[in-house]
Amino acid sequence: MLGFSNISLSNFLFWATQKKWFLYALGLGVLLLSLPTPHDLQIKAKISIIILIVSLILIIKEPIPLPAVAIFILIAQIYGGVDTVDGISKSFMSDAVFFIMGSLMLAVVIIKQGWDSRIALGILKFTGNKTAGIALGFLSISAVLSSFIGEHTVAAIMLPIGMTLIRFTSANPSKVKNLSAVILFSIAYGCLIGSVGTPSGGGRNVIMINYLNQAGISISYFEWMLRVYPFIFIQIPIVSWIIMKTFKPEHRILDSSVRKLVIKVARSRAITGRNTLTVLIFILILSGWVFFSEKFGLGTIALTGVFLYLLGGFVKWSDLNKHTHWGVIILFGATISLGTSISKTGGAMWLADQLVYFLGTFMETIPFFREFVIIVVTTSMSNVLSSSATVAVLGPINLNLVPEILNIGLLTAMSSAFSYFTAVAAPACTIVYSSGMIRAKDFIKIGFRVGVISILLLIAYVNIYWPLFT
Amino acid sequence: MKILIAIGSKDFSTPTLRLGMKVAQAFHAKTTIIDVGEKISEFSSHLVELAHDQMESWDFDPPGVDVLEWAFNYLSDNKLIDAKQIEIGFPRSRLIDDGEDRKLVYLPGTVCENVNLILRNGDIVAELRDEVQVGKYDVTILGKSRKRNMSHDLLQYINSSIFVVNNYDNQKFDKILLPLNEASGMMKVAKYAIRVALALKIEIEILTVLENKSSNQIKSYNYNKVVKLIRRSGVQYAIEEKEGVVAEQIIKKADKNKIIVMKASSMSPIKRYFKGSIPLSVMNACDVPILIVK
Repeated sequence: MLGFSNISLSNFLFWATQKKWFLYALGLGVLLLSLPTPHDLQIKAKISIIILIVSLILIIKEPIPLPAVAIFILIAQIYGGVDTVDGISKSFMSDAVFFIMGSLMLAVVIIKQGWDSRIALGILKFTGNKTAGIALGFLSISAVLSSFIGEHTVAAIMLPIGMTLIRFTSANPSKVKNLSAVILFSIAYGCLIGSVGTPSGGGRNVIMINYLNQAGISISYFEWMLRVYPFIFIQIPIVSWIIMKTFKPEHRILDSSVRKLVIKVARSRAITGRNTLTVLIFILILSGWVFFSEKFGLGTIALTGVFLYLLGGFVKWSDLNKHTHWGVIILFGATISLGTSISKTGGAMWLADQLVYFLGTFMETIPFFREFVIIVVTTSMSNVLSSSATVAVLGPINLNLVPEILNIGLLTAMSSAFSYFTAVAAPACTIVYSSGMIRAKDFIKIGFRVGVISILLLIAYVNIYWPLFT
Repeated sequence: MKILIAIGSKDFSTPTLRLGMKVAQAFHAKTTIIDVGEKISEFSSHLVELAHDQMESWDFDPPGVDVLEWAFNYLSDNKLIDAKQIEIGFPRSRLIDDGEDRKLVYLPGTVCENVNLILRNGDIVAELRDEVQVGKYDVTILGKSRKRNMSHDLLQYINSSIFVVNNYDNQKFDKILLPLNEASGMMKVAKYAIRVALALKIEIEILTVLENKSSNQIKSYNYNKVVKLIRRSGVQYAIEEKEGVVAEQIIKKADKNKIIVMKASSMSPIKRYFKGSIPLSVMNACDVPILIVK
């Protein structure tokens, strides 16, 4: 056909099939661009909203590599005249991007330090040998740790501990399907629950702090904890109970497997001076986050920690380079830049106005409807996108919805952690799913229950607890 | 001859591996057994990799290794690999990342030239296509997917013959159905059918479907050559003529006990993409193994 060989035609068709979502997104973008601009929307704002819609499709469906999406966001903003080259470059790099970079690198250092055996011993001392207690222990420890060091790090550390316990209970995984689900969901959901507890729990929290700062609102590490941390303690027992009720474990007591795990851990290498030093450096970073993050930024302090680990030879640059996904860092930089542009051009305000126009009456008349809408929209997006990307794109819009900016910011960050429904929604879920011991449909089964309860709890929490701060 | 056998799990891939290895044996082919694991979101891929490193330090294999180990055990139980290798056991430590997003291990074969085990992650069609292009495989053998589009994508994009092992059972399939037509390349199809028939010790049933039985064009020089080849191979065969729509007649004739060996469509990829093809219709409708020769 037209001189093309069958092989080249076949290659083209394959490319088009693989990139179909890119072509759909592009087509939708062109269509939206050709539609008349609403009178109350600036052309720059319209273009930034269209870039947002196209990018969301590209991020969710991944027809092209994520770094390519990042590059698309940046160049489309410049070619579309949304901002100048300098403006886009400035908004691209922020403390939130520093933090995501530092946090991904710190994960590599921490995971390689062999803290897992100590954590395993700690859990078992604390929980005893009853399955319910062990599940609660896994969930609590995962939640508390992830509130400081990030969900992905904790999930990677906890997963083999949980898997070992399951293997010691039965060498045949099909005989302990429910027990596997109980242990692994306790880890994954514990990580998600804890990740909102402090600003350093996840990139999404720092992105929100970034937007709050742009709106002229400052919140300290401690103040964030004061407002958010109690919610973790409320969720822990309830979610643990739901997990136990949903997957009734085959064994109520794990006596011999706990003993075997204790013996295995006891045989692992002893703590060295270097291990202690890595812990001390991490305590230093944590103190920096608590006491100096408002002055220097969370990202700067995280990178300082990485610098110290590199300086002390605790990690090789080649390891950091291999395990740090630079493409994801660039993508977060680009989505934050797009979020900033949408906010600056008035696009965020326009989108918020549209939401208020359509749902304003319900928001005024139905109690808690406003919170419900924000939580449901954020939760839905974070289950198909990623929590950080959700906050990066929804943050500026949500902050324009109501005058209580701080509350709405925290609410958005908190509900973005409700990524309970799918295996791909959050790194912690993907990590436990990659063990092969739980099925994708298990996420729907348990995720729906935990999701609905968490949404209701959060609505109650913000209306009962947060008014105490005003 | 190079054969690629795609497996997915211990529970569903036994027929694929069994038939695949019989075919590999018949061709004395270089054989690769591949497991394509689920695609991991790019957001989490590096973190999952880090978690898998951590799992390995606790003596857990990354997902997919158990499937390869099961395949190794199958080869070992059926003495399809070198005795020394069987004695050593599954070479977990030799399963190395080759820098092309795949892990692989080489095993010396006995009945076939040698056997490679490969582990990849991602979209199954894209990964198989890539593997076929890199390894220049002649036949790809795999189980039937529940996804309807999968058959289309496999036929459309994988540049090798495709053998879809569907409901294969040693006892049940006693014939090969070989639909013949006037298109070029029927000799290659016949050769494949003969090899498979010899490997499975079953006979061939040649089917010619005419739109109008009165036209005698089908028994041309090519047709006679194919029949002669089958006769000389020593395989038992029978010839049947039918009148009607080609795909329908093949589906009807295949019933539930014949392995179909037929030629891929010679339409241009664009036409095939939009209009479909006879092999695709047969593949979608039949519940029997089908080898489509390209």
